[in-house]
Amino acid sequence: MNGIVDTIKDVLKETDLVLGWTTDPVTGMATPARFHDGKEAEQAVFDSTCVHNLAVHLPRLKDSRVGIVAKGCDARSVVELIIEHEARREQLTVIGVGCGSLLDVKKIWRRYGYGVAIEDRGDSLLIGGEQVSRGEFVQRKCHGCLEADPDIYDVIAGEVGGEIPADMAQSHPLYGMFASLTPVERRAFWREQFSRCIRCYACREACPMCFCRDVCIMQTQVPRWAGGAVDAKQSEMIQLIRVNHLAGRCTGCGECERACPVGIPLMLLLDEQNRAIEEMFAYSAGASLKARPPMLVFDVNKDIWGKG
Amino acid sequence: MRIGVFVCQCGTNIAATVSTERVASAAMALRDVVHAESIQYTCSDPGQRTVIAAAHKYALDRVVIAACSPRMHETTFQRTMAQAGINPFMMEMVNIREHCSWIHSDMEVATEKAIDLVSMGVAKVRGQTPLFSSHVPVVGEVLIIGGGVAGIQAALDIADAGMPVTLVEKGPTIGGNMARLDKTFPTLDCSSCILTPRMVEVKHHENIRLMVNSEVEQVRGYIGNFEVDIRKKTTCVDEKKCTGCQICEQKCPSKAPDEFNAGVGETKAISIAFPQAVPLVAVLRKEHCRLFIKGKCGICKKVCPADAVDYEQEDELHTEKFGAIVVATGYELFDWRQAYPHYGGGLYPDVITSMQYERMLSASGPTGGRIQRPSDGAEPKEIVFLSCVGSRDESIGRPLCCKVGCMYIAKQAILTREHIPGSRTYVFYMDIRAGGKGYDEFCRRAQKEAGAVYLRGRVGKIYPRDGKLVVMGADTLVGENVEVEADLVVLATGIDAAAGAGSLAQKLNIPYDQYGFLSESHPKLRPVETTTGGIFLAGACQGSKDIPETVAQASAAAAKVIVLLSHDELETSPMIAEVNHMRCIGCFKCREVCPYHAIEEQGLRDGRRVAVVIESLCQGCGLCNVACPPSVISLRGYTDNQLIEEVTEVLR
Repeated sequence: MNGIVDTIKDVLKETDLVLGWTTDPVTGMATPARFHDGKEAEQAVFDSTCVHNLAVHLPRLKDSRVGIVAKGCDARSVVELIIEHEARREQLTVIGVGCGSLLDVKKIWRRYGYGVAIEDRGDSLLIGGEQVSRGEFVQRKCHGCLEADPDIYDVIAGEVGGEIPADMAQSHPLYGMFASLTPVERRAFWREQFSRCIRCYACREACPMCFCRDVCIMQTQVPRWAGGAVDAKQSEMIQLIRVNHLAGRCTGCGECERACPVGIPLMLLLDEQNRAIEEMFAYSAGASLKARPPMLVFDVNKDIWGKG
Repeated sequence: MRIGVFVCQCGTNIAATVSTERVASAAMALRDVVHAESIQYTCSDPGQRTVIAAAHKYALDRVVIAACSPRMHETTFQRTMAQAGINPFMMEMVNIREHCSWIHSDMEVATEKAIDLVSMGVAKVRGQTPLFSSHVPVVGEVLIIGGGVAGIQAALDIADAGMPVTLVEKGPTIGGNMARLDKTFPTLDCSSCILTPRMVEVKHHENIRLMVNSEVEQVRGYIGNFEVDIRKKTTCVDEKKCTGCQICEQKCPSKAPDEFNAGVGETKAISIAFPQAVPLVAVLRKEHCRLFIKGKCGICKKVCPADAVDYEQEDELHTEKFGAIVVATGYELFDWRQAYPHYGGGLYPDVITSMQYERMLSASGPTGGRIQRPSDGAEPKEIVFLSCVGSRDESIGRPLCCKVGCMYIAKQAILTREHIPGSRTYVFYMDIRAGGKGYDEFCRRAQKEAGAVYLRGRVGKIYPRDGKLVVMGADTLVGENVEVEADLVVLATGIDAAAGAGSLAQKLNIPYDQYGFLSESHPKLRPVETTTGGIFLAGACQGSKDIPETVAQASAAAAKVIVLLSHDELETSPMIAEVNHMRCIGCFKCREVCPYHAIEEQGLRDGRRVAVVIESLCQGCGLCNVACPPSVISLRGYTDNQLIEEVTEVLR
C-alpha cells in the first residue's frame, strides 16, 4: 500500500492534476493544493487537519482529467456531482483516504493560543506538550459521520477501514438542545443566529453542490428573490432559498457550517431537510451513483405521503 | 406606462357580492392606472366596444380585466386587445368570479379581496412585454388507437374526408367488443351484420392503413406534430401471405383459452378469432404453442399452403408522425370475482358473465347459438339475470352506472325466450334505466312478450343445491325475501376502461379517472377533446356508452380532427420558456424534467455549453422554470419578477 505522496505521483501519470492537501507554511496546518507533477506532489500530506471538501473544485474542472483525494464525506459529494453531470466519472480518479475524524484547529487555537503545535495521537492530542482528550476538539461536522471511508474510489492511499468512534456516530449535542426548543423558541434562535450573518457567502463558496456561483440567485436582481440589505430577515430568506435548492442534493458534508466565519449552525437546517427527503423519497444524496435525484423524477405510482 | 382596469359585473354573478364600483375606484389609485371602470357584461359586444373605446381615448398600453376565469374568456379579450391595437398579451385577466364573488357571501370582505386581486393583476401587467405567436406546420396524418366500432367509425369518417389514417389495434382483428355481440338493442338487429361491412370497408379504404397486433409505445411532440413509436408484435404469421384458410388452426395440437369468446370453449395456439375477422389472418400465441413451450412441433408451418408461418418473425418498431390522435380504446367487463365472493367468486361454473352468455347466443359462437350450462352442457330452463354486478355498488367502491346493463339484460331475456321456448327468466334489478329512444318500450317488451319476471332488489347470496343454483334476494317492492332455483345465473357485470388505458393516458399525457376512463376537457362544451391539444376521445374509453352514442362520439371526434387538419399551419402560444444564455450554468436539470423534450444543449462561442428551448416543442408548462437552480429560465408572460411583484403587492 502506498502513502499519499506516492499515490498522487502514480495518479498524476494519467491525469492533468490532483486535488489534495499540503502544509501551510504559516500555520503548519493542512491547506488545499493542486499538484501538477511529481515534484509538487512531494509536498502532499493527509492528516486530521485536512478538513476541506475538495469536491467543491470539480465543477470548474469538468474538462480536465482530475485526481481528487477524498474522505468518506467528500466522496459522497463526488457521487452527487457525477449524478448531476457536474463531474465526469471517466475523467476522474478518486484517491480514497480513510478518516478518523477531523480536528477543529481554530477551536484549539482559541483555547491554547494561535499557532500552538498539535500532535494527533489517535485517541488523544498533544497540544503544546499537554495531553488532552480528542473528542472536544473534533470538527462539528464529524459528529453524526455517515461514512469514514469513501464509497467510490479508484485507488486507496494509506489505511482505510477505520471505524467511526462511537461518540462521533451520534449527532452533536447542539442537536439535542435544538430539538428541545418549542417552535417559538426556534424562531427566536434563528433570528439571533441570522442577525450575525454578514452575507459573505462563504457557505455557498464552500458547498460542492452550490455550483451556480456567479449567477447565484442570492445576489441577482433578475429575478429579485432577495433584497440586498444585510439584516436577519434577508439572511434568513437567502439561507432558506439555499437550503431549498439543496433539497435532495445535500450530501451532509458540513462544509457550509465549517466555513461560516460567524458560526451559524447551518447543518441544523440541512440535516432536518435531508431526514425529510430520506423519509419521503428513500433518497440519500451521494449514497449511490445509480440513484436518481427525487426532484428530477416523476413517479405517478409513488405516494410520498403514504396515504395509500 | 398607461394601464386601464375594467371590472366586470357579470350581471349579478360578481356584482351581487363584490362592489365593482369600489374596486374600479380603488384601481384608479394604483400606480400607472389611468382609467378604471365597471362594466355590466365585459364579454358582451357592447362591453368589448367599451374597452376598445377606452383604450383609444386613454391611449392605454396595458389592460387588466377583472372578470371570470381566463379559461373562459382569455382568448375573447385577447381578440378585443388586438382590435384595440394593443398586443393581446399586454392584457391580464384577474378572476374575481370563481376566485372571489362565487365563494364569498360578505360583500365587504369580498370587495376587499377583489381590490387585492386587481392590484396584483396591475402589478403583474406592469412587467409584461409584448409577445408574438409563431406558426408551425401541421402533419396531415391521423392516428387512431383502438379498432372497435368507435375507432372504425372515426377512421372511416376521417379517411372519407381525404386524410390518411393509421388505425392501430392491440388485438389480431378490428371489431372490438361489438363484434362479440349477438344482437343489438332495442332493434335486435344482428351486430356482426351491421359491423362487418364497416370492418371490410376499413380494410379496403385507400386512406386507411390498418396495423393489428400493434401497440403505441411512446408519444412525443404536440398538437399537429406528434411522433409516435408503434410496436407491431410478432405473430409468427406473415400477414401478406396468410390467406385465412385456417388449415393451421385445424391441425394445431395445442389448445389455448379463447379470449374472443370470453373463455367459453377453447381455441388453438394458432387461430383466427372469428370467421369475419379483419384482417383474416391467423395469429400464433407463443405462450400456448407446443413448439415454443416444449421445443417440438412445427405442424402449422408444415401444413400452411401459403408458407406464411415464420417462427423467427420479430417485433417491428415503427416511428410515425401524426397531426392528431383519436383514442378509442373502449371498455372491458369488470372482473367481478374478487368483489363478489357471495356469488361464488367464480367457483360455480354456472354463474357466468353477460359476455359469456352473449357468445352462447351468437350463431357463430363456440356453441353455435345453443345456450348450455358450462357444468354439464344441459340446456337451462330457469335463468336468472343479476343487474349492477360491479355497478352502483358503494360497498365495493364502484358507485358508477354502466348505463347499458339494463338494456342488454332485456335483450338477453328476449333472446333467451327465442332460443329456449318454455324457459323462464328472472331479472334482479335496482332500477330500470332505459333513457334512450325506444329503450323503455324494449324493456317492457322483455317483461310482456318474453315473460321475464322482474324483481326489484339486490341478490345477497348464490349457492349450489342439488345441481341447481339457489339465488337468494329480496323483492323490495313486495317487501319479501325471494329464493329462485336457477339452472344458470348471468351477471350483468359493470364496465371498466380497457386494461392499459391508464398507462396509455400517461404516454399521451392526458388525464384519466380511478376506473381508467379518460377525461374529456369539458363535460359539456368539449366532450371529445382532451386537455392535451390534438388528442381526442371516442367511445367507451371516456365512459360507458352504448353503440349509437359511441358512433356519434366517434363522428364528433372525427369532425374535430378534420377541423384541426384543415389548416396547414397552427398558431403556437408565445407563452413558453426562455433561457437567459448569459447566465445559464449548463447543469441541464431543465432537460431532465422537460416532458416535451423541448430543451437542447448548445455551445456558445466562448466555449460554454448552455440550454436552449426548442420553441416549437415547448408547451409552457413551467417545469424547467422551477428546476433551474439560478432561475435563469423564465416563462414568457409569467416571469419570476412579475410573480414576485404580484406577491409583493399583496403583502404591501
